[in-house]
This record gives sequence, C-alpha cells and structure tokens, in this order.
Amino acid sequence: MSNRKRILSNIWQKFNSWEGLLFVILIIVFFINSIIAPNYLTVGNQINLFVLYIEKIIVALTMTFLIINGEIDLSAPSIMGLSACTMAYFYSNGMNFGLAILISLLIGVACGAFNGFWVAVVGLNSLIVTLATLIGYRGLARVFVEDRSFGYFPEWFNNLGQKNLIGPFPFALILFFILFIFALIILQYSGFGRRVFVIGNNKDVAQYSGVNVQRVKIQLYIASGLISSLAGLLLAARYGAIRGDTAYGYELEIITMALLGGVNIFGGSGSLYGVFLSILIVLNVRNGLSLAGLSGHFQTGIIGVLLIFSILGPNISKLFKDWNKKHKLFIKPEKIVESNHKEVDQV
Amino acid sequence: MNKNNNNHKLILDLHHIYKNYDGVKALTDAHFDLRKGEVHALVGENGAGKTTLIKIIMGVIMADSGVIKLDGKPVHIRNPQSAQKFGIAAIYQEPMVFPDLNVAENIFISHADRGSIVHWRKTFQDAEEVLSKLDVNLNVRMPARGLTLAAQQTVEIAKAISLNARILIMDEPTSSLSAHEVKQLFKIVRSLRDSGVSILFIGHRLEEVMEIADRITVFRDGRWISSKPRNEVTIEGVIHDMVGRNVKEFFAKDKTERGDLLMSVRNLYKENVFEGINFDVYRGEVLGFAGLIGSGRTDVGLALFGIGHTDSGHIIFEGNKLKINSPQQALKHGIAYSTEDRRKLGLIMPMPICSNITLPLLQRYLNSLGLIKQRSEEETAESFRKQLDIHTSSIQAMVEELSGGNQQKVMISKWLNADPKLLILDEPTRGIDVATKAEVHNMINDLASQGVAIILISSDLPEVLAMSDRILVMREGNQMGIFNQVEAEEEIIMAVALGQNQTIQENVQ
Amino acid sequence: MKKILAHFNPEQIRESFLVLLILVFVLFFSTQIPDYFNPRFINRISTSVAVIGILAVGQTLVFLTRNFDLSIGSITGVTAYLVGQQLWYHPGIPPILSVVLAIGIGMLMGAINGVLVAYGKVPSIITTIGTLAIYRTFLVEYSHAVPITTNLLPDWIVNLNQVALFSFHGFEFRVLFGILLLVSIIFQFILRYHRFGRLLYAIGSNPSASQIAGFPDRRIVFQAFLISGGLAGLAGFMYLVRFGNIMVLAGIGLEFSSIAAVVVGGVSNMGGSGTIIGAFLGSLFIDILQNSLYRSLAVSEFWRDAILGMLILLAVAIDYLVIGHLRKKWARTGFQLKSEETSNVK
Repeated sequence: MSNRKRILSNIWQKFNSWEGLLFVILIIVFFINSIIAPNYLTVGNQINLFVLYIEKIIVALTMTFLIINGEIDLSAPSIMGLSACTMAYFYSNGMNFGLAILISLLIGVACGAFNGFWVAVVGLNSLIVTLATLIGYRGLARVFVEDRSFGYFPEWFNNLGQKNLIGPFPFALILFFILFIFALIILQYSGFGRRVFVIGNNKDVAQYSGVNVQRVKIQLYIASGLISSLAGLLLAARYGAIRGDTAYGYELEIITMALLGGVNIFGGSGSLYGVFLSILIVLNVRNGLSLAGLSGHFQTGIIGVLLIFSILGPNISKLFKDWNKKHKLFIKPEKIVESNHKEVDQV
Repeated sequence: MNKNNNNHKLILDLHHIYKNYDGVKALTDAHFDLRKGEVHALVGENGAGKTTLIKIIMGVIMADSGVIKLDGKPVHIRNPQSAQKFGIAAIYQEPMVFPDLNVAENIFISHADRGSIVHWRKTFQDAEEVLSKLDVNLNVRMPARGLTLAAQQTVEIAKAISLNARILIMDEPTSSLSAHEVKQLFKIVRSLRDSGVSILFIGHRLEEVMEIADRITVFRDGRWISSKPRNEVTIEGVIHDMVGRNVKEFFAKDKTERGDLLMSVRNLYKENVFEGINFDVYRGEVLGFAGLIGSGRTDVGLALFGIGHTDSGHIIFEGNKLKINSPQQALKHGIAYSTEDRRKLGLIMPMPICSNITLPLLQRYLNSLGLIKQRSEEETAESFRKQLDIHTSSIQAMVEELSGGNQQKVMISKWLNADPKLLILDEPTRGIDVATKAEVHNMINDLASQGVAIILISSDLPEVLAMSDRILVMREGNQMGIFNQVEAEEEIIMAVALGQNQTIQENVQ
Repeated sequence: MKKILAHFNPEQIRESFLVLLILVFVLFFSTQIPDYFNPRFINRISTSVAVIGILAVGQTLVFLTRNFDLSIGSITGVTAYLVGQQLWYHPGIPPILSVVLAIGIGMLMGAINGVLVAYGKVPSIITTIGTLAIYRTFLVEYSHAVPITTNLLPDWIVNLNQVALFSFHGFEFRVLFGILLLVSIIFQFILRYHRFGRLLYAIGSNPSASQIAGFPDRRIVFQAFLISGGLAGLAGFMYLVRFGNIMVLAGIGLEFSSIAAVVVGGVSNMGGSGTIIGAFLGSLFIDILQNSLYRSLAVSEFWRDAILGMLILLAVAIDYLVIGHLRKKWARTGFQLKSEETSNVK
C-alpha cells in the first residue's frame, strides 16, 4: 500500500470511531452557531462557556472514572449542594471561613465513603444506592439551610470564583486543566487506571486475579465525593450565594458529558478525549440554543435528548448493520438443492 | 442394537450445509441425520462446527445454503419458536431456568397453548405428572433457584417432553455433572430413546459417548468426517477422525521425586460447604482432587486462594501458620488459582494478551509514579508465548480473538508468571481440544519436575488418575480419603466418591 | 426457623413484617402526636397515599423487568396540568373522559419510554433521566408559566378529593383511595394469574433464558413502561384532584417516593420478585411516615428527603442481606426434604 493510502487509511480509522463522529458533530455545531451569531468562533467565547459550566465539567471527570468502573454516582450533585450548604451554614454561624471550607470538603469525603461502603463492602447496586443518597444528601442540605439563601462570603472567595486568575483563565478553569491532565495520565497509563478498566469489564475476573476490587471502588467514590464537594464550593464562589437547591438536577448534564463522550454505560471502556469533545458539544449546543433565544429549560430538554441519543445512536447503527447482514444471508427456498450424497451406513 | 421396534426412519436430515461467519468457514458441505428412536452422538474438537449445526437446527441462525428435511419434507426453521413447533428442543450446557419461578412454572412457561390465565392447581398437577414420567421426584412448588445443576437439567428435559419434543438436542449435558449424575441422566436418555425420541448428543468425554450413543458422527474443521454405529468404533479411531492424526489422549504423569512438605491443611471447615479437610502437599507432586460435582473441591481450592472465608481450621505453609483472606495475600505467599470458567472468571476478553498475563502482578510492572512499564510487560508476554506455544499474530491481540485452547494457555501463563509454589488448577482441560489438552498435561509434568506443587481439580476421572501422584476424594464436603496413584483405580475412586465403599483405605504418607 | 420457612415463603414473611412495622410506627406516633387517630388525619392520609400508591404499582411492573422509571414525576405533572387546562377551557368534559384523557396522555409518554428502552436498547436509567427532563421542559414551555388554579376548575373535581363512597363514624372511604384499591387488586391479580404478569417475572428472573425461549421480552418491557406511564397519568388526575393548583414544578420528586415505596415493599430491582401487595404496604408505610413526621413537632419538614433516602438504603440492604439469605435457606429446605425421601433424585 502506498504511503499516501496508508496515511489516508489511518485518518479514516480515527474518524470511523466514536471520537471521530463527535468531532464531526462539533464542527457542525460550530458551523450552525456561527450562522446564528457571526464572530461566534473565538477562543474567548469558548473560555466563557467553560467557565459557566465549569463545576459540572469537573465532576464529569470523576463520573467518567466511575462509569468505566461499572458504577455510577447519581448523588454527586447532591454532594455539591450539601458541601456548599454546610460551608455557608457554618460560616454564617460564626465559624472561621477556612475551617468551614475544610469541613465541607471532609463532608464530601464522608459522603463518598458512605456511598463506597454500601456499594463496595455491602455489595448493593450502585444505581439504587446513589439514588437513595441523591435524595438523602439533598435532604441533608435542606436541613442545614432550610429555605433560606446564604451569601456574603469573604471577598477573596468571591474573587476567586468570579474574577480571572491568570490571563483570561479563572481559578476553576485552571484547576480543571490540571485535573484533566492528571485524570488522563492516571486513566490511560497508570496501574490504577488499568484496574479501573478491568473491574468495569469483569469484576469477578479482577477479584480472581488478585485485584483489590473493594479498595478501588471505595477510592473512586471518595474521589468523587471530594471532587463534588470541591465543585460545590466553586459554585458557591462563582454565584456568591447558595440555596438548598444549589446544583439540583446537575446529574443529567454530568452523565451526558460522560456518556456522549463514548464511555460505555456498562463499564469497561471509555476515553477522556471523547469526554472532552462531548463537553465541548454540550457547551456549544447550549450556547447556540441560548443565542437562538431558547430558554434554559428548553436547553435542558435538549440535553436530555442528547443523553438518549448518545446511546440510541450507536444502538441503531448496530441494529442496522446486523439487519443488513441477516438480510443478505437469508436463505431463499429456491436455493434448496436436492442432494445425492453418500448414504450413511445402515444399521 | 436398539431394543425398540422403530424402523429406523429418518426424522431429521441435513445436507450440503454451508455457513460462513465473517469469513470463517464454520460449516462446509456438512451433513447429519437422525433416526427415530436413536441416540446419535456428534463429536469433534472445538471449532469443528457442532455448535453451529445445533444453532441451525434450533433456528437460532440460518445456514447460508443447504437442505433441512423433517420426516422427509424440506422445512425452513426460521426461529426457535418454529423449531419448537417442529418438535425440536435443546438442552444446553448451562441449563436455563427461571430462578424465581417455581419448578412447575419453569416447565410450562414456554407453552403457548395453556391460555392467558394460570390455574395453579392444575399446573402443579401436570408438572408432577411429567416429572413422574421421568421417574424423578422434585417439589414442584419450590423456586428453581435452589436446584442443583443436575436437577435443573431434569427440569429442562421435563420441559422438552411436555412440549412433545421428538428431537432432543443435548449440548455437552454432562460437563458439569458428576459421574453419578451422568448415570442418572443416561437412564433418562435411554428411556426417552426407547419411547421414540431422537437424541442428538454432543460431548467431549469419549467414554461417555461410547456408553450412550447408538451412532457416532465426527466433524472436523466444519466438515463431516465419518458416521458409524457404535459397535464399529473405537475411542482411538474417533480421536483419529477428530484430529486427523494419532494422538495419545493423555500423558501419564512422569515419575518424579517428591520434594519436601510445602503445605499442610488441617481440619478445614466451612459451614454447609466442607468439613474435616486434612491433607499435605509436597513440592513437585500433583495432588488430584476427585469427587462429584458439588462435593466442595472448588470451594476448598478457593478457600486456599483467599476467596470465601473458612470458619475454622488452619493452613501451614512453608512452616508458617497462615490466614489467607484475599487473593492478593495468597499470591504473596506463592499460591495461584486457575479458575474453571475462563470466560467468566479467568480472562478479560477485550484486553490484550500481555495485559491479561501481567494482571495479578501488576504492581511489579509499575514504575515509581505508578505508571505501567509497557516494555517489561511485552517482554513477559513474549516469553510465555514462546514457552507455551500460544498461536497468535501478536501479544497485543485481544484475548477474545483466540481459540479456546489458546485462551486456556494465556490463563495458565498468567498464573505461571506469578511464579507460584502451589498452583491450583480447576478443570484446566474442560472444553478444549485433545491436542491442547495434551500440551497442558505436558506442562503440568514440567512444572512438577521443577518443584511446583500442583493441586489438580478435575471431574475427568481418567485425567485425574493419569496425572496425579495422589488423589484426594471428596463427597458432599467431606474428605473421603487419599489414595496413591498405584492403588487408585477408576471403580475404587468412583465408589469412594459415592460413599458406597464402607471400608475406606486411607493411605497417609 | 425451618418450620416457619416451610410454610411461608420469604416474600410473605417480609410483607407480614412490614405490616407489623406499620403498626409499630402508628402506635409510636400516636404517643408523640396528640389526636393522632383523628378521622380527618386518617382520611387525608388515605388520599395522599393514593397518588404514591398508584405510581408504586407502575414502578413495580417496571422494577420486575429490571428497569427504573424516573420520569413518572414529570408525567404526573404534565398530565395534571393538561387535564386541568382542558377542564378549564372546556368545563363540560365528563369526569370519565378526563380520566381517560389523563391515562391516555400518560400512556403516550410511557410509550416513548418503552420504545427507547425496549427497542432502542437504551438503559432505562438513562432513558428516564432524559425523558424526565424532556417532559418537564415540555410542561414549562407549553404552560408559558400560567398555573392552573382551583378557581379555574369545575366544582366536581375540586370536591372530588373529599367525596366518600361510604363513611363510618367519620372515617371515610374516599374515592381516590377506592381507585387505588381497585388498581392494586387488578394488578395483583394480573401478576399472579395472568400470563403477562408471569412473563414479567420470567423476564426479570432470567433475561437470557427468556430470549432463547422466544418470549416477546421487548414487547413486555414496552408494555410495562406503557402501563407505568398510564398509571402515572391516572396519578396526575388524582394529583389534580388533591391539589387543584398546578404549577410547572408539579410532581417533582414523586418518582423518588415511588421507588422508596416499592423498595420498602420488597420489590427487587434485580427482577423476579416482588408483589403489588408489597408495593401497597410500602406506599402506606412511606406515606404514613412522611405525614406523621410532618405533624410531629420534633422533626422539621426539611428532614423528609434525608429520611427517605436513608429508608431506601436500609430497605435495599436488608433485602439483600437478610431476605437473600432466607431465600437460599428456603430453597434448600424444600429440596433436601424431597430428595432424601427417594433414591431417584440426585
């Protein structure tokens, strides 16, 4: 095969994958958005978009790990809300702000450990466990702040959330890039990452091969709890205020970012490159809709459609391929041929 | 000769069957026929096309071309329901019962003609009737969940008869059964045959096939090779047809010098699973574990590997008393365990060969930052590829692309890599072809001569007898005795495993 | 223990235990809350449990197939609003027709779920998280933030909440509760005696065996979601009856209560086990607990969700550990008895 053909074939392979599809979709979204709003495609605009949803994006990182591991954490947004609420509650009751932040982070860790306990040690289904804690942690958040709103955080905190830190990048965005690089290295190249994949593919094989499945799961849930509580605090900094329903309903978007990125809902496969592309898609779709004058609620509905499509799409294409195959191999009655093969020995 | 008066009418006839799967020729000009009231065995190595043939008969897949005739008329079996209508039923290796439904419902749930409303009393009565026809006694009200594998199979057979199946396909029904349960099964099979049912029997255990079959057909590489009545056939002849060359079925265990004591197990007890387990294992010896399915051998093996705790008893390994609570601990001490189900428990299918091999010892392949040392990993995999002759285009190939025998080799490599002092092999040759079986036995010999202690758990009695220096027999969780290779004979071991031999000779070394 | 197990299956033990638990709680609360057995309170509970109870029936069917339906809260909200709106515009609509309308709209939304899960092979958790948002968005956009209020509705529906079929010393048997009972009885019958119900159990018990046996598993899962949607529509009608004022947030969170109800009632998400009776008892338990906590002065209403979450966890854990253990023992006792009697069985 000539060199040129080989290069083309390599490029075709990359495009033929899920990431390739995402890339194409992203280009289309950019294109459409540019029609709606000229001068759309600027780096500054993309940075702004990232900042608007940075907390969800950060949590999507740990969510990706968990889903690859064959689990899920539906309670992540509730942990976000709970940590923001406890921080506000303690601070407004006179506690030192730094201490309040520390305690909130610890609460996040505790929430994650609690999730991890029921899933990894007791062995319950993570869907039902994190569904229960989604309800429970949200309820706890309301116990702390009831139906009031809290704000008036220290100025440095608000600045950290609302002003840029280095150049055009605010603190949260820089944090995201650092976390993203760490996550990438850990997932693709580290022993821990491989264990995450293996457990997600087949928990029993992992156990029988000497992998400490329990420990990995608990570590993942604790990481998810910690990152979620951190994200909740970032949210508080950016808004400058919190309520009992802060971060309510975020699970839709966070899970969409992971699943649209090609992470298999059943575990065992997925890549952060895909997740990054899907994050871009989600952000720009939202932005495009908003520029077209459609409300936030409407955008959320579209995200729901994206979520379903992220699994429906591949399923339909698989069905189509299988149907095509079956159709080709359908045996037609006319093809039946009489035989005269040698008769088997008579008894 | 058949004892019945059927006039050997041809019930099912397939010929010129071709089937391609993505370029792999699963069946090429294959043919097969079944007479009324006979047991016709189909044998062949893995990949010979037996499963493909069954799937075509059951309507699960369609042949690319060829003829299927039922009672002399060409038919079109489009799907499993239409196979059922034609009176064809299948029992697979893993019985498919509904654990939460009771036995009676399991039997009748596939019936389309019992109406929309369930009349429970009638259902229970009818179920008991069907089971009594098989001369079997089960409580039809109980959920299928607690049934033994053999009992579940019986339920499947009852289901088939209740559907008036004329053709019963049995795909390796005995691989998970003990010798005693096989005898029970064969009794049922014979009575079905005598009542006019035709049975297509697929099995790997040739002695069993010789016992039950009226005719034996051999497939190789997707083609029909031979069909002969049982009394015109020998096991060597069958193997010859299957493999195309003469292969000795088993290597006998070489006589090696036994090393010193490696491990002593005393009074191992786990409630309702096993009790009174006492044995020693020496370096360089093969200790076979024989017994019926469910006798607890795998459970003992797993306990030694740290899966599933024991209630009491102790293990002394290299002179130290040990509590093994997890596979990591076991590995640290040098104990490795190769599971009986490589698909579900042994290998990560969509992962490369080299990653599978290094998994138990992953920490050794990590650098100080915790990142994987790819080159080290590949070196290890290459060396095993050579050592065990694993057929693959590259060690980066996914394990799921390999044949069964090669997958088994990868799994064994995985445990050899751990440099075990004690290697527990659970059914290492189940479901693999004869040639690879011989290679595995060879490897066991090699390992033993290097001083590795091996516990060989196997339900293949001739295999255990040929390969073991000593044999430990278990029955229903109890240790019945330990035998030397010299005094162990198939009938004795079988009797002990059944608990029928009152005077058990215990040979303590 | 063995003797008890020989006569009752673990499900029945669990249900009896739940009844006991309810009685214990009721007795406990009667000491904490003055005037607890006031007929007014009981009557109010009977109508509030009706909504959850209906949703729990639908959720049971879905759970049996190893799926979740998280969109029923949105379906309830949408149908409540749409029916309310139609009654506002056309007050002459006969009651039966409005019920049919509610069920019909619910079935349409349930059908979408069913198609996606059963035929599109999208896992139900994903589908219903998605449709939860989509249906809610529809409600927001469609309503243009115009709420339905009681003064807009015809009298019969506003009063229906209080209408009793018969009463006894002030304890009323209200229509809504009657609907709940009727629906529960019908579906308990279907699950126990009708082939559709038996197939539901089979599919959840062993999906791969169902496929090989040729059961119409996709159609059955579709129908489960269809029914769940229809029942959510009925619940929407009842929601309208109970509250009259419908805003865009109507029904939020109901799915969680329904899941708590079925889980507490012993329906397993692993498929194959659970009954409508259990779901009914679970709904009763959850509702009594929530209402009693609300009335109890010691516990603020903000604890409601926290406790709900804890309950779900406890119920699932107990089921998994205790009942699973009992189930194994039960199965074992059954077979040992018989097999030891005869020499025919292995």
